[in-house]
Amino acid sequence: MGWLAGTIPAAAIVRGAHSASIAYLTSAPATLDALAVAILPAELGTGPIGQVVAGFRHWIDGYRENAELNHGYGNSRLRFTGPTPATRWAQQLDDLDAAAQAAHGASFAALTVAQRRDLVRPALVAERGIPSSPDGATHVGLALLGFFYASPLATDLCYEVSIGRNTCRPLGESSKHPVPRSKRSAGRVLTVRTDIEAGS
Amino acid sequence: MTRRAIEADVCVIGSGISAAMVADKLARETKKTIVVVEAGDDALPMAARGGARERFLGYGENPWPNDHIDGLEIDGPLQSRSMLVGGLAMHWGGVTPRFAPDDFRHRTIFGVGDDWPISYDDLDPFYQEAEELMGVAGEQGPRAMDPRSKPFPLPALPLTYNLGLLKEWASKAGIATWSQPSAKASAAYRGRPACCRNDTCTPICPIGAKYSPDMTWQPLRSANRIRLVTRTIIRRLVLDRSSGRISHAIGLDRARPNEQVEFHAKQFVVAGGYAWSSHLLLLSAQAGADSGIANRSGLVGKYLTGHRNVQAYVSLPLRLFPGINEQHSLLSKQFMRATGGDFIRHDLRIWESASGKGPRLKNDAGAVMLGDEILTDWRQRSATGVARVRSYYDVLPDRSSELTLDATRKTPWGDPLPKLAFRDAPASVALRARTEEKIRAVFQDLARAGNGQVIRTATDNFQDHPAGGCRMGDDAAASVVDSWGRTHDHENLFVVGAPTCVSGSCANATLTFCALALRSALEIAK
Repeated sequence: MGWLAGTIPAAAIVRGAHSASIAYLTSAPATLDALAVAILPAELGTGPIGQVVAGFRHWIDGYRENAELNHGYGNSRLRFTGPTPATRWAQQLDDLDAAAQAAHGASFAALTVAQRRDLVRPALVAERGIPSSPDGATHVGLALLGFFYASPLATDLCYEVSIGRNTCRPLGESSKHPVPRSKRSAGRVLTVRTDIEAGS
Repeated sequence: MTRRAIEADVCVIGSGISAAMVADKLARETKKTIVVVEAGDDALPMAARGGARERFLGYGENPWPNDHIDGLEIDGPLQSRSMLVGGLAMHWGGVTPRFAPDDFRHRTIFGVGDDWPISYDDLDPFYQEAEELMGVAGEQGPRAMDPRSKPFPLPALPLTYNLGLLKEWASKAGIATWSQPSAKASAAYRGRPACCRNDTCTPICPIGAKYSPDMTWQPLRSANRIRLVTRTIIRRLVLDRSSGRISHAIGLDRARPNEQVEFHAKQFVVAGGYAWSSHLLLLSAQAGADSGIANRSGLVGKYLTGHRNVQAYVSLPLRLFPGINEQHSLLSKQFMRATGGDFIRHDLRIWESASGKGPRLKNDAGAVMLGDEILTDWRQRSATGVARVRSYYDVLPDRSSELTLDATRKTPWGDPLPKLAFRDAPASVALRARTEEKIRAVFQDLARAGNGQVIRTATDNFQDHPAGGCRMGDDAAASVVDSWGRTHDHENLFVVGAPTCVSGSCANATLTFCALALRSALEIAK
């Protein structure tokens, strides 16, 4: 993010950094694409990986700061979303690129998948797990994993059937064994929360 | 301060699910003019709910904007901040079991707590009426455990493939289960579409397959059968000392706080749920009602009730596919039956679950996995399934389980806020450990029957489906309202729904609140 001027007032820098980071992340940086290929399952296929990244960018673009969060049953506490994580994530992509240049003299996107993974792993060693949605992720790689693995597409891929979690499906079909997953029924690339439990 | 007066035959205070039942019945069966007063805003229109759901799914945002009022932060375990047209039932799960006959006869059967002044049979026709109004889908359980005089209005939500396997599993442990009754349309019903498993019943159904009170309010408003006044907080009920009747209610229009709004009516119905109903009666203390309206017994705000729960996750050698319809469950009332021994009763519900079976970042050796490694690991671990099991159990309320006026905290307009404290009666305190142990033993039996393993258990430290505060009874010295919800002290003042409950059973209670409210409406209509 070296394009931020050092003489602008701090608050303006913060505001500008947020919008610039979002613009940066949503404008198809090669590093994000390369990161996705390195950490998402290759079994997904090139096209769907691209859709996941596009969905992730869309998610970042739609993030609203200080939005009221759902106040669940049995809980009267109000909570709000925090600052956009985009600034941090954009910096982390730059850090990956810088690390690639330092280690291999090439951009992150120019490295092999194995070389990229070697650079990503140290950043994730301290993490506990894949979050149930991107917003809590400290690292952009973890956010991308959270985004994908919370999606109906990921569930279908794992179970190798078409479940279509959280999508509108005929009620009468629910008693049947889910049908094998096909490309036609690949499911949508949309993150959903995996931490919802039935209420009352 | 200016004054504005609104007149009607009946003034209903609150617009939650019990209020909707009362207003609907009065509108159908009488010619009375009805005004409904709601402190909160209108709910998000149906057309906008799909978008709100997407924001909830993607970002965790509250799908009900402006559903609470700032400044109403309460000391104590408030169930929800929701305060809008439709109340908390705008984001309920739509789960609608009935109480069991034994719930109304604790003293007679178990020698503890108090009997209700009505029986299950008294309430049965109103259960049916509520089920028809809300479009409840259900199946008849074993009659001894699940008595009812008429069929459900809608066929049961089908058991998912997962629940079919879990039902077989429970039967191996000798436990009869059936489809949880739910106010979700299993087929198109009265203008509502059939459920299509969007699976976000809590907090929001994007298509209106699940009943919510706005579905009652909207046609009543369109037909000008009621007048619904929003954003207006009732702060006092005013007593006519000569007649002992309530003469009017005083409200504050949040949009015009310098204007006093008076509601004059022949009958007043307090339908503010377990917290705000008692709060209003206590706030209304005045000459002739020194400790609050309807409070000669001193019991307004007392005997708050509900139920506790124990929950567990059980790993099973079953191939389950989480996500088919996660919010639907199996139900058993087998453990709600009277045994003549100690007062230990609980329900049992079973859900599919993915708990502990999600994708993970690190393998067992602690190494970070990337790419296909994560997927392969996830597949291996999800080859077998997990069930979530939970039992609500009965808690007898103590007199000191109470809502009081908080001397230290005030609303933005200067009234004391309520303060909540749930306390179990000594009989329940003594039984708590044994009750929870018995439930855990049931979970262990279930696990063994399926060659599975209980992987973790938990208890919530709050009472779910809270009720009480204006308990019903025949004795005016020991209760606030009679069995119809009419206050003992004021002939034209009713309290309806949750606050009138004597005890909280061990089952989701909303349908019972609705049935009680409909029974009250029958008396109000006279």
